[in-house]
Amino acid sequence: MPTVTIDGHKVKVKKDATILDAAKKAGIWIPTLCYHPAVSGDASCRLCMVELDRGDWRQLVTACNYPVRKDITVYASSERAQQARRGVMELLLARAPDSEELKALAERMGVKETPYPNVTESLRNCILCGLCVQVCEQLIGQSAIGFAGRGVDRAVAAPFRQPSEDCIGCGVCAAICPVGTIKVRIHQDQQEVEISPFKSRAKLLVCKECGAPVITEQVSKKVLDKITINSEEFRQRLSLCPKCRMLQTAVELSMTSKIKKQGIQPKSSPKKDSTASRVS
Amino acid sequence: MKVVGNSRLTGIADLERMRQEILSRYTPSARSVHICMGPGCAAKGSHKLYELFCEAVSQAGANVQVQAKPVGCHGLCGCGPIVLIQPGDIFYQRVEEPDVAEIFRETVLAGRLIERLLYENPATGEKVDTADKIPFYKVQQRVALALNGLIDPTDIEDYIKSGGYSALGKVLNGMTPEQIIADVECSGLRGRGGGGFPTARKWRSCREAKGSPKYVICNGDEGDPGAFMDRAIMEGNPHSVIEGMVIGAYAIGSQQGYIYVRNEYPLSVERLKWAIEQAKELGLLGQNILGSSFSFDIRINRGGGAFVCGESTALMASLEGRPGEPRAKYIHTVESGFRGKPTNLNNVETWANVPHIINQGPKWLAGIGTGKSKGTKVFSLVGNVVNTGLVEVPMGISLRQIIDEIGGGIRDGKRFKAVQTGGPSGGCMPAEHLDARVDFDELTKLGSMMGSGGMIVMDEDTCMVKVARYFTEFLQKESCGKCTPCREGLAQMLYILDRISRGEGEVGDVEELGTLAELLEGTALCALGKTAANPVLSTLRYFRDEYDAHILDRRCPAKECRGLFRYEIDADACKACGICLKNCPAEAITGEKKVPHVINQEKCTLCGTCWEKCPFTAVKKV
Repeated sequence: MPTVTIDGHKVKVKKDATILDAAKKAGIWIPTLCYHPAVSGDASCRLCMVELDRGDWRQLVTACNYPVRKDITVYASSERAQQARRGVMELLLARAPDSEELKALAERMGVKETPYPNVTESLRNCILCGLCVQVCEQLIGQSAIGFAGRGVDRAVAAPFRQPSEDCIGCGVCAAICPVGTIKVRIHQDQQEVEISPFKSRAKLLVCKECGAPVITEQVSKKVLDKITINSEEFRQRLSLCPKCRMLQTAVELSMTSKIKKQGIQPKSSPKKDSTASRVS
Repeated sequence: MKVVGNSRLTGIADLERMRQEILSRYTPSARSVHICMGPGCAAKGSHKLYELFCEAVSQAGANVQVQAKPVGCHGLCGCGPIVLIQPGDIFYQRVEEPDVAEIFRETVLAGRLIERLLYENPATGEKVDTADKIPFYKVQQRVALALNGLIDPTDIEDYIKSGGYSALGKVLNGMTPEQIIADVECSGLRGRGGGGFPTARKWRSCREAKGSPKYVICNGDEGDPGAFMDRAIMEGNPHSVIEGMVIGAYAIGSQQGYIYVRNEYPLSVERLKWAIEQAKELGLLGQNILGSSFSFDIRINRGGGAFVCGESTALMASLEGRPGEPRAKYIHTVESGFRGKPTNLNNVETWANVPHIINQGPKWLAGIGTGKSKGTKVFSLVGNVVNTGLVEVPMGISLRQIIDEIGGGIRDGKRFKAVQTGGPSGGCMPAEHLDARVDFDELTKLGSMMGSGGMIVMDEDTCMVKVARYFTEFLQKESCGKCTPCREGLAQMLYILDRISRGEGEVGDVEELGTLAELLEGTALCALGKTAANPVLSTLRYFRDEYDAHILDRRCPAKECRGLFRYEIDADACKACGICLKNCPAEAITGEKKVPHVINQEKCTLCGTCWEKCPFTAVKKV
């Protein structure tokens, strides 16, 4: 196992672990934006710059994807590394001046404001980190969004900037977005979910009990396709909202304990029982 | 285009037999007309000239043995179209369609020179009849371009006649892959695409890398504005690239190669396609090359026109069918490149050098050049020089020699101001560094780089702020937009440069440019981003006074930035002809007959029409 000496702390990491892994182990905070352990990562935001000792010189590298293959010495808190990170953050702040999430991260890094004017257009403060694109491709397997345009015209979009049929409305892109660009909007009246700003919509399944929105039809289908539990009961439960599902479980549990107390064997399946009890 | 129609060659003896057979058909005194089909001459209509010569040949009758031959770029593109007559190496320049009949009658058939088509030495006024007497060619040393202008790129027989594929024969006839790599190492060859990485080290790492299959790629995505080195080689001598690739593939242990050519080079694609087909037909490519157990195939891929696809990882992404965006190179492409497999990528010019190293021995190439930069380098010499075109010079030559001796000095008797090397992310060097030696390390030390071989010469009328702005704009437009510093940083730099060249610069702008440049250099993802600040950094280093004049005095010393100079009429030179007055779209000029005209500065929109139209150069920029 190679040893990483980071700001004087020595930590051992597995071969091909990243400098960021080593920093975490050493308890050193390095700001990140486009990094997420669930996806492979692009190192596109360049916020996690640290200095790597190359013997007679020091090279700025991204901590999130630099693979540790031998013993190395890293300076995460050196003046040059911090200046590089602050510089990148200033450029990001100029692009997305209204993102509260970005401002909070900037403050934690000690960047109060940006010296640069806003010269590039961003769609609702999008900083083009690419996490949404990666998660849609690598975890969900849909690739409903991708990058369009080049350079300053680059933007995350569905093909031809039209609502995408490939979008299943799972909302993972919104959950992973570090700057709050992507939002999930529920249209109660049409029983649809919209992934904004991509305008993609998907039909919602509503809870069979209370009528509250649960998940989209496509997500339900995808989940059911993936799992191998061949139980009708499980399928039925999936059509309930989390609240009703919990309630149902609670009722079932109380029923079971009552039955146990009375020493009577249940005659029918618990599912039927619970349904009956809720109806009554 | 010729189809070879020969049967497969099954060994090196077969190849030699074929060469002897071709040579026996060829007599040194045979008459032939070589018409340059390089990009410069083709643009000036050399295709039509070729057709006319072919027609003349066919009408000349059976007893006259003449051959009209399309050849690759001669280099002296500024004087195109160029026609070379054999025997005698007679060099005609600026040939036009009506000249064809005369050339054929006088020179080809009767052996007389046509004075008016000969090259005139601008320094002495003397007319010269052959290329080797032209100063432009005297200082050059041609390796990669050695056969350009001599052979028909569509005919493999011409290449074989000149010793083509003999290096491949030598390699397959007893050289081990390690011997080849050792030879390349000994020659000191470094990548000609810009990075200057030692070629042998790359080959060895790829050979030793775990994983299979291994790939070999030729980078023909030449995207620098004004550069056409690789194009000239691909179009003028495509077989040299293929032969180099086959040798490299044998050394590395690869069976599949790709040539990535930009789509804007349709002729390169066509020439390479033909060359590949012909080589396959002869068994010089494909299964069991020259009867050996080694097999290697090449496919051509066309790029979509993105500058960034010349970057190796972006090129490989594009080859895989993904968007052409670079990735981090902490894990090298020789370990995990195209399709995640070990991949060796070299530039067109690098591949074209390989057969020469094998044929003439590694010491021969190592004998040319400087300590750490060996061999020659092709440059496309453009800008304000007398002779523009393609030049190949030994490493270590001074910039002054290239500009003055080969380029013939600055056009129109103007003074030299700067030379920019290395393409858009290169730097501008001033007159005081003209004696710098052209090699990888020296140019980097001066804040520029070797790059792939662009060389733009600028005269005293060039505004260096505008130059920096132009290249920054180019790079900003061509940035893929993946990483923050390149996308946002270049946009910020361009915003500042825009303001400065409009006369709205502020104190502190220069420092901010410096900060951004440093940030870009340290944090950008790929080499394109890391070097993108070079034009700004080098102009700041050598021409800081021009930035200050723009910012502090609101004045453009070179009088190029609109709004930072004004037009005035010199009363002594003005003949009151009224041309400026009639042409002024803003009606800003007043004057009567015999009275010198005057520009009303409040009305003037600085369009420059008066300056262009004045027949007496009485309108001045001040």
